Amino acid sequence: MLDGVIRAGTNEWEIPVGYVPGMRVPGRFFLSDALAALLEPGAVQQLANVATLPGIVRCSLGMPDIHWGYGFPIGGVAAFSLDEGVISPGGVGFDINCGVRLFTTPLAQADIKKPREFIESLFHAVPTGVGAKSSLKISPAALTAVMEKGARWAVEAGYGVERDLARCEEGGCMKQADIRAVSAKARARGIPQGGTLGSGNHFLEIQVVSEIYDEIAAKAFGLLKGQICCMIHCGSRGLGHQVCTDHLKTLETATKKYHITLPDRQLACAPIQSPEGKAYFGAMAAAANYAWANRQLIMHAARLQFERMFSIGYESMPLVYDVTHNVAKIEEHTVDGHRVTLCVHRKGATRSFGPGTRDLPGDLATIGQPVIIPGSMGTSSFVLKGTATAMERTFGSTCHGSGRVMSRSQAKKRMTGKEVADHLLAQGIIVRAPNEAAIADEAPEVYKPSSEVVQVVHDAGLSALVARLSPLGVIKG
Amino acid sequence: MSYEELPHTADVKIRACAPTLDALFGEACRALMQVMYGGDRSGGTTRSIDLDAPDQESLFCDFLSEVLYVSEVDGLVFRQADVRLEGMHIHAVLDGEPFDPVRHNKGTEVKGISYSGLSIQKDAKGYMLDILFDV
Repeated sequence: MLDGVIRAGTNEWEIPVGYVPGMRVPGRFFLSDALAALLEPGAVQQLANVATLPGIVRCSLGMPDIHWGYGFPIGGVAAFSLDEGVISPGGVGFDINCGVRLFTTPLAQADIKKPREFIESLFHAVPTGVGAKSSLKISPAALTAVMEKGARWAVEAGYGVERDLARCEEGGCMKQADIRAVSAKARARGIPQGGTLGSGNHFLEIQVVSEIYDEIAAKAFGLLKGQICCMIHCGSRGLGHQVCTDHLKTLETATKKYHITLPDRQLACAPIQSPEGKAYFGAMAAAANYAWANRQLIMHAARLQFERMFSIGYESMPLVYDVTHNVAKIEEHTVDGHRVTLCVHRKGATRSFGPGTRDLPGDLATIGQPVIIPGSMGTSSFVLKGTATAMERTFGSTCHGSGRVMSRSQAKKRMTGKEVADHLLAQGIIVRAPNEAAIADEAPEVYKPSSEVVQVVHDAGLSALVARLSPLGVIKG
Repeated sequence: MSYEELPHTADVKIRACAPTLDALFGEACRALMQVMYGGDRSGGTTRSIDLDAPDQESLFCDFLSEVLYVSEVDGLVFRQADVRLEGMHIHAVLDGEPFDPVRHNKGTEVKGISYSGLSIQKDAKGYMLDILFDV
């Protein structure tokens, strides 16, 4: 482990106050000894930097997929007091409400007789990659409704069913959205991109449920061994990126106005209750709503392809859940025995609400929230459930993925996209992307093993394993 | 004048070098376009950008954020930027062409230009910039 970091338990580490000047609370992260070897000093520095922000409560937290980002580390969680605390776009990221959703089908693997043809049809149904435009024309008035209503806008427009909404974190809509705080530039970027996947690590994947760890929870989530599922990973597209860019600039000025000293400009922030802080929060919520509508539109397009290819009913493909992993939310938590309302930032971290918490659909109230953890291309994804331990220890948060260990330039030097695709095909996994470089960038070897990451959160009790999903076909953005 | 990609696990870190600050801004713009669309880019269509910022680092971030915006919304892929700086004002003329899904699909989307790790240094040979693109 790095100098100055103290072991605080099995798979748990503390960054003491003083590791960087100005820390108000310690840093704490969860990591196995095997994963500790991959930890970057930059990520620890960023976790410590977050601990210097005003109003931070208890500690600056890192999940086991922690890695070097900008502002907050990726895998970072921090909660702030509403009275003295700040809100920071650096704690959310450019891709506001980047998230994951999973829906099931009544199909088994043997039902997919022509997998290549099916993947190809999905690739053409979902606009993918740099510069891809939506066939859907969202009018300026509709865009306003998207930003105010989120997934509900899509369902009301015919792109889904009412039940889908109950299976989204926050019902697929943050009510605090303030469209006045969304610039004309952000809107201009949002109009042509509804229902597009984007690029980078975004994907749409056909998977099979390969293992069940918790029969009761799996049944409640609607997961059966051998069943075909579809996972969608994407965010708020150019609209969200522009909201972050615009407000970062405003908050840079606000940081000086409110005399906040920062170790990194990307942590630009303002008091949550200040006009600048409120404007960012309102715009961020509007972008988060765009992302929920976007995933709803993509799910609809995928469901139509399943319907067409396999003659199955739309309603036989229920949404398991939709989680966000780049967001700031106002939530109630217990701190030192008192119920308090906090602003929880999750940047590359997933909400993991335990049984009995607010915002769970009635039939999941005793189980806990479904937590969806995507694997890297070609490796398993996992479904877990939220826990009481996460509520006590991490403001109801867990990991979000596997975390990169290799840069894109290194990845390209190691293997070409074609070599990666051939290697995956030998394992029965079909990959389709707009270009080969996109495949090389996201080869399985460039990520930490997803199974190790989820084992750490399972062992630490931050979420509990329910099912493993193995990839069959991937569309890369 | 040159630029290269430095190792960074999550994002794309670029180091650009140029004899003058004007040229350094131009190199950073070329690097951004290379990351997003690959190397096959020609000219013929121009756009101009005029911006003010309180300091040099902000001017860099704001300029590249504006290039990102114009490229996405106008559907243009730029080959180069002719930059003129006057204090904390930038005037840039970008030369490019309409996005072609076949020729320009060799890159990855850039979500934003980060202040993290941003540095501009000057030595006897000229200027060097390190900048991080969120991809």
